[in-house]
Amino acid sequence: MRTAAASWLATVVLISAAGCARRPAAPAVPAAPAEPSYEMRLGRDVYRHYCQTCHGETGAGDGFNAFNLDPRPRDFSDPAFQKKKSDAELADAIRRGGSGVGLSPLMPPWGRTLSTQQIDQAVLYVRSLKKTSP
Amino acid sequence: MPLKRLFAISSLLFLAVLAISPAKNALRPYRSFQRRFAELGAVRAKSQKAAREYEKRPVAIRQIWLREFDDRVDRCTTCHLGVADPLMQDAPEPFSSHPRTAHTPEGFERIGCTSCHGGQGLATSEQEAHGTAADAGPPMTPAAYIEAGCGRCHGGEAVPGAPRLSLGRTLMARFDCYACHVVRGQETFRSEAPPIETLPLKTGGEWVRRWLKSPRTLDPNATMPDFHLSETEIEELANALFARPVPDGLARVIRAASGEPPGSAASGKKIFSESRCISCHTVEGKGNGSAPELSKIASAATRGWLLAYLRAPHSFNPRTRMPQYGFSEAESRDVVAYLEEEFRDFEAPKEILDPLRPNQTVAERGEKLFQRLGCFACHGPASGSESERFGPTLDGIGDKKPASLDFGKRVDLPRTLPAWLAAKLEVPRSFAQGLRMPSFGFSPEETRAIATALLALGSEPVPEAYRHTVKRPPAVLPGGETGKLLDRYRCLSCHQIGDRGGDLATAPLTYEGSKVRRDWLVDYLVLSTSIRPVLEERMPIFRMSRAEATRLADAIASFWVDAAIPEDPFAGKTASEADPREGQRLYGELGCRACHLIGDAGGGYYGPPLTDSADRLKPGWVFTWLKGPQRWRADVRCPDHGLRDTDALRLTAYLGTLKAPTGAKAAGGEK
Repeated sequence: MRTAAASWLATVVLISAAGCARRPAAPAVPAAPAEPSYEMRLGRDVYRHYCQTCHGETGAGDGFNAFNLDPRPRDFSDPAFQKKKSDAELADAIRRGGSGVGLSPLMPPWGRTLSTQQIDQAVLYVRSLKKTSP
Repeated sequence: MPLKRLFAISSLLFLAVLAISPAKNALRPYRSFQRRFAELGAVRAKSQKAAREYEKRPVAIRQIWLREFDDRVDRCTTCHLGVADPLMQDAPEPFSSHPRTAHTPEGFERIGCTSCHGGQGLATSEQEAHGTAADAGPPMTPAAYIEAGCGRCHGGEAVPGAPRLSLGRTLMARFDCYACHVVRGQETFRSEAPPIETLPLKTGGEWVRRWLKSPRTLDPNATMPDFHLSETEIEELANALFARPVPDGLARVIRAASGEPPGSAASGKKIFSESRCISCHTVEGKGNGSAPELSKIASAATRGWLLAYLRAPHSFNPRTRMPQYGFSEAESRDVVAYLEEEFRDFEAPKEILDPLRPNQTVAERGEKLFQRLGCFACHGPASGSESERFGPTLDGIGDKKPASLDFGKRVDLPRTLPAWLAAKLEVPRSFAQGLRMPSFGFSPEETRAIATALLALGSEPVPEAYRHTVKRPPAVLPGGETGKLLDRYRCLSCHQIGDRGGDLATAPLTYEGSKVRRDWLVDYLVLSTSIRPVLEERMPIFRMSRAEATRLADAIASFWVDAAIPEDPFAGKTASEADPREGQRLYGELGCRACHLIGDAGGGYYGPPLTDSADRLKPGWVFTWLKGPQRWRADVRCPDHGLRDTDALRLTAYLGTLKAPTGAKAAGGEK
């Protein structure tokens, strides 16, 4: 009797143990290399292709074509400018160009050339050009 | 009775154990996710009604069933509830809305989730769906390689919105992956690497040793990988290469050229710069870099070989992209004199070009090594058409299960396919002894790009309805004398024509006949002026004869035209009726001068100068271009202003008044 009871108990314990046991942990998936997001990468590509010529690699408004332009291209590294403009305003200036928002026509309107997504991606990247250290 | 009590307790315990399974189901994480999402939605909803909609949604498994995509079922939206919900843009995971891409949010129902992200669509627990559980199927594609998903459906080299995939595919062709590995669609690929038949007369034993040791050290543009050869192996290969017979015809030409008197380096310098060699080559890193660095070329190749090669490159390497310039005998001597004076490795020993006297026994061992390493895959004979691809096939590599991969000695790696591929690309021979794949010296970004392209190679093609390759119109390529000229000057190395050709030049030739004036083109071909001075890649002066230029210009005018470009956009009226003055005003208002320069009036340097646009461009082209530049070249930076016909005509009329001052026109290099 005692043996039967013991084996009954043992079975119960085993079953519950099996039910509660966690699956063995999987090997770690490699952490994706630290890098910009997909949208940021696309934004960077849009910027490099369409904007960098005038606005410069770092966004300081010093691209190689900038010296021909009066007024000079906007300096995106300027924290005050970044603070003043909303994403929607930046996107609007890209879409309608300088003359569309009451500024210099030397900044072309890109609304028919770039898709809404590309413009949003470019804004995302322009945001990343803000100088962080004073 | 302790025994009875024991029975009672154990029965209760047993009951509890039986309840575990239904309880687990009731407590499955997705249920609480759905409840939390409903709360979040109710808070964020713009109206009472919308809030109630969120609360009313039943707690249930959700799925996207792709009937046309092999009946794929994706249940990811069971937890990722906000993917298509604009209110969830910055919501915490797993609720955030999907970033906008070319396919989202519009394409969810057609494309689902796993076709891009991988992972297990049917699973409803996080670990199983993401493939992080030990016994789950293939895991999700890590974010760094996400563009592999694009490549499953999108063929061709460049895929918009997938720059990393596109780079990977470009690199796979540039580094000749397809010369050794079988990949569907790349069956006709041939490496551009030079046949090495003339090597004993081209260079010296010491240069070959240095090259074999590390090609990139001698030439940063080299695409030849590092085979990690031992000193003995290098000696064997060098002996084998110098023991091969040089074809009689070429040997005669090279020997004769080496006996010619030296030319004038000063004149050679001028010809070198006019020939725009750095449109493909580099000199101390300056230039395009798709062809060898030239700054030490005179310490790599003998005078006779350089002369003979410059005069007839295609007889040495029929696959080369290098054009055959129309140098006279004296001009080519001048160019080589300049190379010998300026482009030398001043640190190299003076015997670097001394020929090696091969030892037959060593050479025979070298020949075997040549075969074993697969050198022939790229350096096949000039006349050969097909070479055996001995590397493992890459089709299906993107679907390999981690368990089927041989990690060998690389115990340090996570057991995943992307990690395995990246390590294979970075240090190919670190997995085991005796592996043959050489090291290409890829940068981390290049490695990621190629791994992305490899992950896109599935074992089965996706269903027909999902396959997409941008098709360019088939190239119209004339034969006969014109065809010979196209081949001689290798127009297709840089220019696109229909679905053929390279992309080094900004101007595809597909519609060139509708674009430029024939007379201008003849002058330009004879003596090309730089249309875009800011570019390093500029049209070379080929020193072609006026007769050749005329023949090419006539062919361009008759073959490469587009019916959508009118000859006369003014429809019989005169241009002045379209009001060029109004056009000039528009030119200012639209800010064209930001990029374009007009004579003394100035302007930017980015676009082509328009000073002589009336001499160069046909009005029909100007008009059609202004109506939508991207139609003619998708990535062109000239913005589409959405001009009305009348305004486009006014601008066309204005540009039609811009002629180069007489006397400044290209004089024409008659020869």
